[in-house]
Amino acid sequence: MSISPLPGDASNDPPEDQTGRFVRQPNGRVRPLSPHLQIWRWHVTMLASILNRMTGGALSVGAVLVALWLLALAFGPDAYATFTGWMGSPLGLLVWFGLTVALCLHLTGGVRHLIWDAGRGLSPKAADALSWASMVGGVLLAIVFWVWLFTSGRIAL
Amino acid sequence: MSRQTRAFVKGVKVSERHGAGEWTAERLSSLILVPLTLWGLWSGWTMSGAGYDGALAWFRSPVNAVLLAVTLLVSVWHMWMGLKVIVDDYIHRPSSRTTLLTAIGLLCVLLAAASVFFIVRLALGSAPLPAGLGA
Repeated sequence: MSISPLPGDASNDPPEDQTGRFVRQPNGRVRPLSPHLQIWRWHVTMLASILNRMTGGALSVGAVLVALWLLALAFGPDAYATFTGWMGSPLGLLVWFGLTVALCLHLTGGVRHLIWDAGRGLSPKAADALSWASMVGGVLLAIVFWVWLFTSGRIAL
Repeated sequence: MSRQTRAFVKGVKVSERHGAGEWTAERLSSLILVPLTLWGLWSGWTMSGAGYDGALAWFRSPVNAVLLAVTLLVSVWHMWMGLKVIVDDYIHRPSSRTTLLTAIGLLCVLLAAASVFFIVRLALGSAPLPAGLGA
């Protein structure tokens, strides 16, 4: 059916790099480089997708901090007091607030991707709406979490 | 004979090697993590300002200890797949990619092993480390 040549067939490749933007693909064929980020007009789906990847990367740091929390707890009261001293400082609380925002955004972003993977919400309008909803919802969830933490008196600055 | 096999499900071409398995694993771990993350947020809220004794008491509940271990193990699995995709997308030199992927793999194994080790000790009420080591 397909008219495109088989992978690895270079007979249709351009003879030379005409624009300075050609790259050799892993299968050995020369193809133009895809337009990069600054070429595209920003779409909300792009922003939401990039945010999901960035928050995922940030949460790797969060996983290390959770492991450190377990370590401090396992090393007894003195180690735990040192740990909570750092984490309860204004800078520590800021880091944990950032991680909460990242976690909530990654959670709502993940649900958005699961909806899309189920084949739903893929029209441009629905995809934009889902992207906005996941970003606003994630940030709101994190803010509510921290307002509730402070107002309940569990933590204080 | 071709090394590749061609499989179709409902007229849609599926991956010829392991891509479909990775895709499914990413979605499966996401799906498991949705409720566990909500539970994790609630647990984090409970643990904030609870102090050393409060945290120890929390770990004495087997439900908490098991759920936390499952949450962290699935999270590390999810994290390993996510970081691997990022490296595959942006790092093109094979030697750099291999080095980075090895480092990420080691970090993930270390995180998983250390987390489970500490959780088991806390759940069993072991004496604080390092004095309790071997006890």
